[in-house]
Amino acid sequence: MSTGEMHRSERLRILNYDTPAVSDWETGLHPMDDLLRGERLPHIWCQGCGLGTALTSFISSLKWLEKNRGWDLDKVAVVSGIGCTGRIAGYVRLDSFHTTHGRAIPFATGLKIANPDLKVIVISGDGDIAGIGGNHLIHAARRNLSITVVCVNNFNYGMTGGQVGPTTPHEARAVTAQYGNYEFPFNLPYLATASGASFVARWTVLHARRLTWTLRNALTHSGFSFVEIIAPCSTAYARWNPEGKGLDPENLRRRGLEVMKHYQKVGKIDHDVHPKDAHVKVNNQGEILEIIEGEFLDETRPDFKEAINQRADLAEKYWLSEKGTLDKRKVLTSRKKRVPRKEIQLGGFGGQGIMSAGKIIGMAAAVFNNLQACFTQSYGPEARGGAAGSQVVIASSPIHHPHLTQPTSMIIMSQGAYDKYVADLAPGGVLLIDDELVTLPADHRKDIKTFGISATKIAEQAGNNRAANTAMLGFWTAVEGIVDKDAMQESIAESVPPKTIKLNLDVFEAGHKIGLTIDK
Amino acid sequence: MSTKKGRLTGEHFMLGDHACAEGAVLAGCRFFAGYPITPATEIAERMSVRLPQVDGNYVQMEDELASMNAILGASWAGVKSMTATSGPGFSLMMENLGLGIMLETPCVVVNVQRGGPSTGLPTLVGQQDMMQARWGSHGDYEVIALSPSSPQELFDLTIRAFNLSEKYRTPVLVMTDAEVGHMTEKVVIPPLEEVEIINRPEVQKGDIEPDLFRIYRNSPQNSPGYISPMVKAGEGYRIHVTGLTHDERGYPAMNAEANEWNVSRLMEKIRANRKDIIELETDKLRNAEVVVISYGISARTSLWPIEQARKEGIRVGYLRLITVWPFPEDTISKLAKKVNAFVVPEINMGQITREVERSTGGDARVFGVHKPGGDILNPRDVLAAIRKAAAAVQKA
Repeated sequence: MSTGEMHRSERLRILNYDTPAVSDWETGLHPMDDLLRGERLPHIWCQGCGLGTALTSFISSLKWLEKNRGWDLDKVAVVSGIGCTGRIAGYVRLDSFHTTHGRAIPFATGLKIANPDLKVIVISGDGDIAGIGGNHLIHAARRNLSITVVCVNNFNYGMTGGQVGPTTPHEARAVTAQYGNYEFPFNLPYLATASGASFVARWTVLHARRLTWTLRNALTHSGFSFVEIIAPCSTAYARWNPEGKGLDPENLRRRGLEVMKHYQKVGKIDHDVHPKDAHVKVNNQGEILEIIEGEFLDETRPDFKEAINQRADLAEKYWLSEKGTLDKRKVLTSRKKRVPRKEIQLGGFGGQGIMSAGKIIGMAAAVFNNLQACFTQSYGPEARGGAAGSQVVIASSPIHHPHLTQPTSMIIMSQGAYDKYVADLAPGGVLLIDDELVTLPADHRKDIKTFGISATKIAEQAGNNRAANTAMLGFWTAVEGIVDKDAMQESIAESVPPKTIKLNLDVFEAGHKIGLTIDK
Repeated sequence: MSTKKGRLTGEHFMLGDHACAEGAVLAGCRFFAGYPITPATEIAERMSVRLPQVDGNYVQMEDELASMNAILGASWAGVKSMTATSGPGFSLMMENLGLGIMLETPCVVVNVQRGGPSTGLPTLVGQQDMMQARWGSHGDYEVIALSPSSPQELFDLTIRAFNLSEKYRTPVLVMTDAEVGHMTEKVVIPPLEEVEIINRPEVQKGDIEPDLFRIYRNSPQNSPGYISPMVKAGEGYRIHVTGLTHDERGYPAMNAEANEWNVSRLMEKIRANRKDIIELETDKLRNAEVVVISYGISARTSLWPIEQARKEGIRVGYLRLITVWPFPEDTISKLAKKVNAFVVPEINMGQITREVERSTGGDARVFGVHKPGGDILNPRDVLAAIRKAAAAVQKA
């Protein structure tokens, strides 16, 4: 593929650039040409546009950092979105990413977090950063990740022909606000500050030198830095608004310069102003009367990556705890007896450990008895608060259907769960209840086997009523005999909090003992 | 950095969503960006605990637009990255899934499907995003999508998704569902040494003269499906990539010829490598009169009705789409000439059924078993469809 443009290396060869005797001037190279993709130039920007100046300030600041701060510019990445400013990524000879509209900041977030050695700079327009990508701006600022966001604000959507945008001054005009803008604009420095940015500044492109200095500061700042650059849109915005009034519409360069003159007139440098008051003041015609500029905020706070790193020890501790539990695991012999498909329904109310009881059964079967086991829980609003349910299917052969078709076994720990589930139990199936929590009605099913224990009382006597579910599990293990006792004990030991293992195993044993006495 | 740090192995009784996270960690994923959404939240939860244990990073983004972009950024920093979501979030990701495809960025997107459209059924199963997975972002492209039917397979296919994404430099979709994601079963995690891990072809600092490097290089012999090596940010190549139609260097090229080159490239790299990408599970296709074609949880719940139908004397074959996209149209087209009918059970109103119909070219009849989201299919409905298919064939 070729775009028809001459590649820089070819151009340099033709210009005999390798010969030291030829000066930059003779080769036509600009001193900063190594930071520009010459083969991509000329750029697409209009005459009189402020973006050229913004770009120059940006690469000047990089040049300075390379020379005076030893920056390796190979480690600099520029990310931009869509729009006139978005094209900057295509002109800088740096790793550069031209992403989708508004999404430069999250792309940069991924780039920076994944490789903190990179210096990541987002350069995009006001529509991109504050309009379609506004949500990303405030959240990136909130995280205080060490990236720099440079927002070039030309008060309108330039590339699409000058539509009203989130920064268009009140009563200013645009293609889609020909009767005057009835919305109110963002004050971007204030928005960034309120969102949590730790470095905030604004300059117009007229103040190119100060802008360059500020960009150096922003780029070396630890934490989220935000720089707004106000730039003339000589084609679209100036056409509709007082700043470009009466000027030859063909003479864009002149129009851009007139707007710059206007900035000179209305610009007011005030570093100490609160960003809230760093306004772009307009009259009732949308004519800009004052632009407050300066470095409004420069704070030191831990950046996002530091905040993550501070938690590394905790992550290690969690891991050692999980690993410790697994290392203690015993290998039990596989269960030899074939188990036909068994379906177990557990039911109770929230907080009784109905979910964990089901999971303990499943783990005992799958991990310690080498059976197939599938555990599911009832989700959804109906599962909250009232009846909590969980289901386990156990079999020797693969479980094709993960749901219960007709439960063969039930562990029920509340009246509500009894009412909800008992009709589903297969004839001849086994119903186990906490007999202090479930009262059997007069018309209780006669075609099922029903056994009860006072699980909650057993657990209370052992010292913690929250272990009632393990009493039921002990009882179930003895009565049903689907899963081996030692498998259940191992599964409990691995599932409950380490401090409660002994208590739970004691309660399990108590339930199991009663279960053995049951005449089935 | 200790390589053994935080490495989990062995047998676990594990939630499907957690198995997905463990598959990602084993595959080398070290960056996750996501936004909470039922029923995919548990993937994010597990990743937020696990990634810091293996020197990786978890970041909870402001929305799914941001999540998708953040994983693209991380991938260009040279780190394997993933996000996970469900229908509503998947819709938001479509914009930048397109960017990922256009920039040829390896990454993995998991969709734990729930009932739709719109907010639909947050906690209940669906397979209604299968066509969105194929066509959801604008423009022409090919996509790779895998469909697991158990937590163990969700673990395995997450690893495979990373391998395919690295190999073909493209986002890969894991199209699982609420049933598999919220199911707890045994998951065996092998030691890393026993797992095939593929890493992207990559050019590093000093390999090539930067001026000569082409981020979207044409194949040397013009061989179709050639994957050009990637380079991460910070290696001195000063790359440029753009969502605009671009040339070999990644520079914008605004004309029809460039678009043809660009789009063909994206499509050909998948199409020319179909054999490697498409994975199917088959059973008793030889001499089958009826073949059940399904995927994910619906394939699994079709196994009982298939067994029943066989007991009734119907010669039923089974074809499970482990890879759903690219679609195995050649296999199905050939099969259509030999078998009489296909039965396609799926938890939607007939998305893959249409693909099967398209692939048969009228050579075999197609019976869908459809219902929108909310529950897994009733095996009896699938059995009824198999019987119906067999009977219709006999009549004909």
